[in-house]
Amino acid sequence: MSRVSNRLVSRRIVILMFAIILGILGLTARLVYIQLLHNQFFQTKAMNQRLQAIPIDARRGTIFDRNGIPLAMSVSANAIYAVPAQVREKAKSARLVADILDLDYDFVLNRVSKRSSSEWIKKRVSTKEAQAILSLELPGIGVVENPERFYPYGSIAPQILGLVGIDNQGLEGIELYYDEYLRGVKGEVIFERDAIGREIEGGVRGYFQGENGADLVLTIDYYIQQIAQREVERVVRETGSRLAVIAITEPKTGNILATASYPSYDILNFMDFPVQNRRNIAVTDTYEPGSTFKAITAAIALDTGVATPNASFFDPGYINVSGWTIRCWHRGGHGSQSFVETLENSCNPYYAKLGMDLGGQRFYEYLKRYNFGSKMGIDFPGEAPGRVRTPSARIPLVTWANIGFGQGMTLTPMQLLAGFGAIANDGVYSVPHYVKEIHTVDGIIGPAIPKARQIMEAEIAHMTRDALRSVIENGSGRRADVAGYEVAGKTGTAQLVENGRYSHSKTVTSFAGFAPATDPVMAGIVVMWEPQGAFFGGIIASPVFGRLVEQIMPYLGVAPQANTVKDDRNQVSIPDVAGLSSMDAEKTLKDRGFKVDRIGEGSRIIGQVPAAGVHVNPGTLVLIYTDLDYLHSFSDIPNPFGV
Amino acid sequence: MEFPKRYWRNLDIPLVLSVLALMVLGAIVVYSASYTRLLTTGDPFHYVKRQVLFGFVGTIGLIFTLFIDYRVWRRWYKLIYGANLIMLSTVLLLGTTVSGSQRWFRIGSQNIQPSELAKLAIILVLARFLEKPENFKGWKILYPLLLVAPPMGLIILQPDMGTSMVFVGILFSMLYLADAKTAHVLGLGITGIGLMLTTIYLSFHNIVSIIKPYQVTRLLVFLNPYSDPTGSGWNVIQSMIAIGSGGFFGKGLLQGSQNQLSFLPANHTDFVFSVLAEEFGFIGAITLLTLYLVVIWRGLRIAGMAKDRFGMLLAAGSVSMFVFQLIINVGMTLGIMPVTGLPLPFITSGGSTMLTSLLGIGIILNVGLRRAKIMF
Repeated sequence: MSRVSNRLVSRRIVILMFAIILGILGLTARLVYIQLLHNQFFQTKAMNQRLQAIPIDARRGTIFDRNGIPLAMSVSANAIYAVPAQVREKAKSARLVADILDLDYDFVLNRVSKRSSSEWIKKRVSTKEAQAILSLELPGIGVVENPERFYPYGSIAPQILGLVGIDNQGLEGIELYYDEYLRGVKGEVIFERDAIGREIEGGVRGYFQGENGADLVLTIDYYIQQIAQREVERVVRETGSRLAVIAITEPKTGNILATASYPSYDILNFMDFPVQNRRNIAVTDTYEPGSTFKAITAAIALDTGVATPNASFFDPGYINVSGWTIRCWHRGGHGSQSFVETLENSCNPYYAKLGMDLGGQRFYEYLKRYNFGSKMGIDFPGEAPGRVRTPSARIPLVTWANIGFGQGMTLTPMQLLAGFGAIANDGVYSVPHYVKEIHTVDGIIGPAIPKARQIMEAEIAHMTRDALRSVIENGSGRRADVAGYEVAGKTGTAQLVENGRYSHSKTVTSFAGFAPATDPVMAGIVVMWEPQGAFFGGIIASPVFGRLVEQIMPYLGVAPQANTVKDDRNQVSIPDVAGLSSMDAEKTLKDRGFKVDRIGEGSRIIGQVPAAGVHVNPGTLVLIYTDLDYLHSFSDIPNPFGV
Repeated sequence: MEFPKRYWRNLDIPLVLSVLALMVLGAIVVYSASYTRLLTTGDPFHYVKRQVLFGFVGTIGLIFTLFIDYRVWRRWYKLIYGANLIMLSTVLLLGTTVSGSQRWFRIGSQNIQPSELAKLAIILVLARFLEKPENFKGWKILYPLLLVAPPMGLIILQPDMGTSMVFVGILFSMLYLADAKTAHVLGLGITGIGLMLTTIYLSFHNIVSIIKPYQVTRLLVFLNPYSDPTGSGWNVIQSMIAIGSGGFFGKGLLQGSQNQLSFLPANHTDFVFSVLAEEFGFIGAITLLTLYLVVIWRGLRIAGMAKDRFGMLLAAGSVSMFVFQLIINVGMTLGIMPVTGLPLPFITSGGSTMLTSLLGIGIILNVGLRRAKIMF
């Protein structure tokens, strides 16, 4: 048996002891670092992982028309959620829930089995379904209010409003552009939980009320929008156009009263329609304006003195521009014409001459004042700027001659309408806009759009205006004339560019104008792409504008002028049906020989177009609008957090 | 059996008291760690009662072994080695699998973990072998390795990385104190580390699958627990939050939010130290480390005073078992050691570890009782 007392071994034991002490000191150092130096940091971490927040969407702001009619509003809808950690008997629970909500069993089972703190099972659930779920009293399955977008009057102005996503975010249109106002601030229910997600009794608990989104009051007028939508659909059906747009503004303010395009879509069933139907063509798409643009050229020419109202021009049927020949649409030419007659005749050689006389630099500068070739700053996402060449030595004079009669440039219908608005409004240019007021918690604010500005002398605007009135009275726009109202405007047709050259069969036909000519309350534009058959704007676009004026003017309270009304003895006054029951109102109107179109499913009448007391021809169509009593079914929502 | 009275005078009182204090501390911490879990199902003292029972049975066993002269065990080493190998092989074939490891025999309501007792077995066998310096002279230095390899290999297969690391620690400590050449110890150490890193590298990159890549990930996740915060990094993160939020004085018994709200996994077993440090703070943690330091110091002191090389190696081997379990387990909870399922002796709830630890103390005390007469 060997003895131990050996100095070397004793020394090694001491060394080992020191190594061990070093090791334990290492652990101690780590303890000091974590426990003493970073105590606060880890305490915060411990607290944070105990807190769980279930977000509650803020109520999204309502979008009203300018008269306070709700076009899009958020109503509370029930949503079913699961806290997987709390769900017992997952298979059985999933089966019950799936049956009530008409969902796939495997889908529900998957949701309640997830390793997450909470899961949505179904959003947009009816009150009945929600109550059925609540009555099961399944642990870990709950009902929460979640606001959903709702359209009380159905799919009105869908391209303007745009879609809202399932998480309460604006995706398109006004909903997108004003999303930061509309969406509000999310609320939260906060509670303290253990690692498995179970709430701790007596733990921290908090409810943070979100901030509701701001309401928007649009410049859109629900009734006028209805008229525009109906007419744009009609014109597409009647002319076989691929696409048509109607936009109506109030020239004095730049307020857009209506914008409609067709083909359109149903905002509630948007999946059933092609994506391009959702475009607000009047703002996002450009085209070559053609002759309608001559109104702008005329105003610029008068403003610069290149033309005077007393000027005369002989049109031989063509004009030579530095080697190019521009022909008039009228074979053999219009002969000798006054300034106003050139507009009435829509004489291309004269407007080509004006373009040349203005010259690239000057013409371009004036076009800039109208925002042609650049974005206007309209309160709508995806505005197209249009295209105007920048003048330089390389741009031939013929370019500016072409622009003189509306070719070789592109613009949006809304840009041109804004230009006509300035002519109608004593030379004051207002950027068109969709929003009148934003009702925030801090007060009412206006839309963020550029200020109105004088872009030409009022006198110049009046001269142009009078010339445009003459176009309707004596010229190519005759068909836009309406008994009792003085319409001013200009027609236009441009060939579409196909494969780099002007097409012989495909055109864009349009009419832009305003009424009444001397004191305009509305300006409007009608544009149709690829109409079948008749190519010229005067033939098919003018009557559309006429119909718009005929319907909108009485509604805006502009009575027909007596001296232009040929025979008002047959005219009848529209009775007031507001407040009547839907059936009574319909009967009252039909008995007096009116055609009736009822909008809405409510029981009581809250509005009518044309307004009561307006004199119209017998047999005129009267629109009546019902109340919204079917909204009430959304009001009784159980609140799980209030229990 | 000869048992002179002077033996009792040799009983190391500070060591005994420290172990008792650790066991009491362990019972309190296990009570707190299992409180929430048991609240809904039954007796909140369930684990404490078991702990006390194991402590009691273990102490009886310990006292019983004190009467047997440790030198008698020299004769049984072949039997012990063989029985150990059979146990470890059987558990691989018939054992119960818990969280991916096949470590336990289930007997009635009890789980028995052979790898715990295997530590004592290998200490005994190594002490017997290293007792004679000629057994590992020159190239024979590889013999002790060959001796350790079979049981350790079986444990790696379970897999139980923690226990196998303790094996390595025991082997090197005992080699060092057996007066092996420093160059040999260092050479073996460097070779071993090299082999280990190669294994990990090859396995991780799927070149040769010695251990599975997910095990490598688990082993190395402590280097950056936030690479997988909800998976393998979860334990380390929650443990560090528990300890860190405990602060100087701790949150108080049953007040540790990490512990009581189930954020801390394995809180009455592998991560029991985190519970202690959360509820009793820096003070509690330092108390535990100090008690351990006393045990280690007294244990090495006994080794130094042993009557013979066999006793010295037995005591030193037992001490190193405690040292490595302490450093690996506490290091793991502090995020500086790999996450391996290794118990903290006297604290972690469980029969096998309590029994093994008390028998380890019994070995040390046994050597101490029969120490050399003091000459000065």
